[in-house]
Amino acid sequence: MPVQYVIEEWDFRELTLKMRPPVFIPRPETEELVGLVMEELRTRGPAQDSPASLRFLEVGCGSGAVSLSLLHHCPQCHAVAVDRSSEALDLTRENAERLGVLERLQIVQLDVLLDADSVLCQCGSVDFIVSNPPYVFAEDLPLLEPEILWYEDQRSLDGGEGGMDVIKQILCIGTRALKKNGKIFLEVDPRHPLMIQEWLRSQSDHGLEYRETHRDFTGRSRFCVLQKTAPEC
Amino acid sequence: MKNCICFIGSQLSKQRFLLAMAGAAHGSRQCALTHRYYQQWNWRRTPRGPAGLYTQQLTRRHCQHFSKELLQQESVQRYLEKMIEEYRQVTQRLNNTALTESERRTMSRRQIELSPMATVFQQSQRAVKDLKDVQAIIESAEAGEDTQMLELAKEEQKGIRKLIEALQIKLLQSLVPSDKHDASDVIVEVAAGRTTGGDICQQFTREIFEMYQNFASYKQWAFEVLNYTPAEYGGLHHAAARIAGESVYRHFKYEGGMHRVQRIPEVGLSSRMQRIHTGTMMVIVLPQPDEVDVIIEPKDLRIDTFRSKGAGGQSVNTTDSAVRLVHIPTGITVECQQERSQLQNRETAMRMLRARIYQQLIEKETEQRQSARKLQVGTRSQSERIRTYNFTQDRVTDHRISYVTRDIKEFLSGGELLEELISELLKSAETEALLELVENSRN
Repeated sequence: MPVQYVIEEWDFRELTLKMRPPVFIPRPETEELVGLVMEELRTRGPAQDSPASLRFLEVGCGSGAVSLSLLHHCPQCHAVAVDRSSEALDLTRENAERLGVLERLQIVQLDVLLDADSVLCQCGSVDFIVSNPPYVFAEDLPLLEPEILWYEDQRSLDGGEGGMDVIKQILCIGTRALKKNGKIFLEVDPRHPLMIQEWLRSQSDHGLEYRETHRDFTGRSRFCVLQKTAPEC
Repeated sequence: MKNCICFIGSQLSKQRFLLAMAGAAHGSRQCALTHRYYQQWNWRRTPRGPAGLYTQQLTRRHCQHFSKELLQQESVQRYLEKMIEEYRQVTQRLNNTALTESERRTMSRRQIELSPMATVFQQSQRAVKDLKDVQAIIESAEAGEDTQMLELAKEEQKGIRKLIEALQIKLLQSLVPSDKHDASDVIVEVAAGRTTGGDICQQFTREIFEMYQNFASYKQWAFEVLNYTPAEYGGLHHAAARIAGESVYRHFKYEGGMHRVQRIPEVGLSSRMQRIHTGTMMVIVLPQPDEVDVIIEPKDLRIDTFRSKGAGGQSVNTTDSAVRLVHIPTGITVECQQERSQLQNRETAMRMLRARIYQQLIEKETEQRQSARKLQVGTRSQSERIRTYNFTQDRVTDHRISYVTRDIKEFLSGGELLEELISELLKSAETEALLELVENSRN
């Protein structure tokens, strides 16, 4: 059994979060995803004239690591955390309470693949979207370590045929839910940055522009940043 | 068995004999209350240093504060006058508008440097004048037999005298150049020395680390353990900690060096043979630089972490969060596996790396500066011991200023006794720095 489930907790950046099977255990790469968003907030912060709070959406929150880190770091932010698994949301709620950020967190249970419209109703217009979606290619799934397959929720790993199912859906949501110049931050498989750019070129009317790819500490292309350039469609 | 006892007995009596000899030779004055004794401070310097001042033999009692004698010395007076004169000139020239931009900048920087000293000097001048006025009042009151006036005047005279003393001390302190790192936080590393069997070094290292931990809480500083590698049987192999607070480096800079211990161990491997063991341990103190002082290019770094085969990311679950940073240009390597979060480990490792690179820079600087100062940080070679802790005689000796204190248990609890030693070190360092400054300005 993974150590994190045995001791029922693990550290993520400067926080200690409770862990419980089968909720997905945060990976070290995701710590860098949060770092990217924080960097963006930092450079954007001073330029903002109104100190109004920022709202963001997290798709696939799992144990809540990403949302809670951001809420903990930025006291003015509000978050909407979405996940299809009720166990994940319970764990997120528990961790949020422990960290004292529950008032700024809105927890919604739904599956973005089935129910994109509800997402838009629930979260309204957001400043940015951050996500560590299931991105493992369906064909790679059986090759994973047994420990992962036995104990962690497969739905949090399976990204479908090219690993792109949830990613494409997030981009569609972004088209409609993001404010102008809002950004999307994604953690993906190293093969995805090119696939995402290709897919965007094949689509029209999405109003999104691919901004940059960042590497993780192992040197693999891991993070994609996109921005909404066209007005509301 | 009987042989053992005779052996131990002879050892102890030999030590007592040596102690008595040492006491007689140095003319010590044992103060029963405070368990400390000062030695006559014979200050003889090698001719290698600047000639003149240092080759004079100055014997003085080591006082609790900067002695007024220091200020009375001719060379110090002359230096003071020179500084005041320079300040006046600089102010005058700054008022004169015909200056280039760079000249103006250098002049104003110099003025800022000298102004605290100038202010204190003016204050002391004023105080001296006030004292003269009061003297005059006392004389006239005595002549006129005005007792009330006399009393008031005498009170004021006492007050002014105290003020003058305080101002003189302040003046001396303002003359001494402060280390530019005095205010920074530090990273303290301790490492057990190599042993010839037994674990006395490791036990001692643990005690010293705890002493610094207690000292940090005594001074209300934050103590954060960066690295803690225990040895077997309860000792400590090496550890590192970050201490943050006010003027931490100023207090810790003289702790760096080799500390020696002599004891008959009660616990641990060495305790079976009841003999005196000698061990050493190393303390390294690194000032923590600000981000701007040390710039590390990301391309100069190689980060070694657990790297899985294949795509990594979601497909791998790892608990191995150890990080090793290698700074390629200098070859300095730092490891950290203290935290469970890899990012935290990386940040800690970066901090330590920055401190070590900075330390290298400083050492290069100090090598170039030729100084005869005993207490210059870092000039003592690695193998020279700075302090000896003798448990059998219950004595701590700092070799740089020949300061001895008793009650090791109290000392190791990192409280008042350690603070006293550190302030003594600071005082003699400041005195040396001042005199060196004065001497250099003469040439």
